[in-house]
Amino acid sequence: MFHWLEKHPFFFAVGVFLVISFAGLIEILPNFAQASRPVIGTAPYSTLELAGRHVYIKNSCNACHSQLIRPFKSETDRYGHYSLSGEYAYDRPFLWGSKRTGPDLMRVGNYRTTDWHENHMKNPASVVPGSVMPAYRWLFTNNTDINTAFAEQLTVAQHFSVPYNQPVPMKDGTTKVVKMGSSVANANAIAIEEAKVIAADMRDQDVKDAVARGEIPEIVALIAYLNSLK
Amino acid sequence: MDIAQLQAYGYFILTTLLVIALYGYIYHLYSKKRDVDGVDYENYSNMALKDDISDAPVSAKSHDDKEK
Amino acid sequence: MVNRPLEYDYTITKMFMLTTIVLGIVGMLIGVILAFQLAFPNVNLIFGEGLAEYTNFSRLRPLHTDAVIFGFTLSGIFATWYYVGQRVLKVSMAESAILMFLGKLHFWLYLVVVAAVVVSLLAGVTTSKEYAEFEWPIDIAVVLVWVIFGASIFGLIGIRREKSLYISVWYYIATFIGIAMLYLFNNMEIPTMFATSAAGESGIGSWYHSVSMYSGTNDALVQWWYGHNAVAFGFTVPIVAMIYYFLPKESGQAIYSYKLSLLSFWGLMFVYLWAGGHHLLYSTVPDWMQTMGSIFSVILILPSWGSAINMLLTMKGEWQQVAASPLIKFMILASTFYMFSTLEGPIQAIKSVNAIAHFTDWIIGHVHDGVLGWVGFMIMAALYHMAPRVFKREIYSKSLMAAQFWIQTLGVVLYFTSMWIAGITQGMMWRAHDEFGNLAYSFIDTVTVLHPYYTIRGVGGLLYLVGFLMFAYNIYKTMSARPVEEHELQNASPMGA
Repeated sequence: MFHWLEKHPFFFAVGVFLVISFAGLIEILPNFAQASRPVIGTAPYSTLELAGRHVYIKNSCNACHSQLIRPFKSETDRYGHYSLSGEYAYDRPFLWGSKRTGPDLMRVGNYRTTDWHENHMKNPASVVPGSVMPAYRWLFTNNTDINTAFAEQLTVAQHFSVPYNQPVPMKDGTTKVVKMGSSVANANAIAIEEAKVIAADMRDQDVKDAVARGEIPEIVALIAYLNSLK
Repeated sequence: MDIAQLQAYGYFILTTLLVIALYGYIYHLYSKKRDVDGVDYENYSNMALKDDISDAPVSAKSHDDKEK
Repeated sequence: MVNRPLEYDYTITKMFMLTTIVLGIVGMLIGVILAFQLAFPNVNLIFGEGLAEYTNFSRLRPLHTDAVIFGFTLSGIFATWYYVGQRVLKVSMAESAILMFLGKLHFWLYLVVVAAVVVSLLAGVTTSKEYAEFEWPIDIAVVLVWVIFGASIFGLIGIRREKSLYISVWYYIATFIGIAMLYLFNNMEIPTMFATSAAGESGIGSWYHSVSMYSGTNDALVQWWYGHNAVAFGFTVPIVAMIYYFLPKESGQAIYSYKLSLLSFWGLMFVYLWAGGHHLLYSTVPDWMQTMGSIFSVILILPSWGSAINMLLTMKGEWQQVAASPLIKFMILASTFYMFSTLEGPIQAIKSVNAIAHFTDWIIGHVHDGVLGWVGFMIMAALYHMAPRVFKREIYSKSLMAAQFWIQTLGVVLYFTSMWIAGITQGMMWRAHDEFGNLAYSFIDTVTVLHPYYTIRGVGGLLYLVGFLMFAYNIYKTMSARPVEEHELQNASPMGA
């Protein structure tokens, strides 16, 4: 039997496939439904937050920052409650990262402010002396791609039943509705409203002017996303 | 039976089967030492050592062999 | 053509040898820049403030990993396949016009994909999944390249003269199947351009953007099932294929035990796939999976060492060759590093060790002693062995080769020792508490303390890059070195002074 495989390349290839796919079948498939159920208090990303998430990905923030708090005292002391599977239910893709050159950001919204992020992105070492993080000044001039974020919202709402425009239960017993635009213009209008709230807390006059004009610099979207991480 | 139990049974049965297959293979290799064509397995090293296009194959592919 | 005796045709091998060298230089150069950016953040502005967006650490980092994995290593795999495949199957590419055409198509399409990847990653178009950063249009092109690679493997096997498949061919087949399966499943994504808004608009936003089919924990599980096994089928399996051919051939020694090579093959296939869970220890994936990942990672030592020891024992009684030939030195050191990193990996996968090692530079160190020591050395050795045969000339300089060997070895040692210290230091500082139960260090303390190690690492990487440039120069000069006769090419490669 064994020898037969070695001289029949096609069946040999099938054999290799069966042996290597075995682990995946057992390990990954069966837990799919269970692991993707959201916990109470987890809401989908708003248009601006999702656009900010794209900025985060575009600049590979995940290359240096994790979003996964492990259940150790040292980690919960430093970053907050350890991560729960359901908290990631709306994360496509996941952004756990694999290296902490900088600190974890899973709950950065709990202890950093818009103002802090603004100064930090302009010049990290001025806020955290000794930081090796590069400055991200182009975020203040590049404009955010709201349309793509909107297209992603539509896609996940349609294919994965992500609850946009529906009440989502929160931890304190209330509900929250995350709005998704009905058209491109409407989505942009929703995003600009969110952006105005962020820009009000910022100092950079160019960014404030841009938002007043109806443009959204990438930094505004990114801060909206970082503030939503709780 | 819930999914976790199925996973556990599936895991156990498949692992056992593969372990039996692997040990069967080891037993086969070291007891027979030669394959069905009567070629000692160790001679197959010559596929790398004598690999000029004019060298004779260790076991030539004859024409009546079925492909694949 | 009719009148000439049949010869192996190395056209495609030569093409891929070129990309191996060029993309190797690109990937390693970016790596060195990244290393110095961590030690000296001003290097992020290496080309000025205006280009900072494209030269900063985070934008370059995926380009480094992908250039080394899918540029340097994959080119090396393709180059050696088109060389080893013909020889052990005893059939020439020149015998089939279709295979020749497929081979060329393979190369040119591969180049197109490489160009697309470079542009898209610099522009920040990425899915963020490690080693699977490409968006869907590139994914489709990658699948196409891979299908052509498969067609060429099975096409060549189909017209072979040797009935049995040599062990290297087994490993090449496994590479093909493994990567195909992993890549397809991990890159399941839905392009967002197909979405339609309530107002009836479609084609909204970037056409190349997509969203992953999996979310959160599932996405992580699939990604690291892929990520770990991309290492298996990109950095282990095909490199083992190379050493099983090139070491016996160069030394003239038969494999110590061909039977052992067969059973470590099946052992590796079975065990490797389970180990992916060790990237997710203490995360939110189910506990039993984490334990499984941990246990199988430790079992993985057996088949890995089976191959490595088989290689070292092949040199039994012939150790003078290691002293005499720099080419054999490269291969012996490669299999030693293979043993070393396949021992280190399982140690890191033990849960209590992983608690300290995860997220630190120790992991970076582990990856690099594998890639620099094992993958890099083996691919360079393979190219050194092939160069005299494809160009019909002796290797330009043996002494340059020996110097390169020692410079690069020093580079690797500096690299992994500094990363060990950095990783363990950082892991211990993160978890340290003072006598009142408060955290002993703020995060930035654990960053600034690494500065000396980051500098040493940069120097180590630079030495390796210098060695690689010497390698490129040596191969380049080989093309115009002294022509050699056929009989000089039997085993040990001919080398000039």
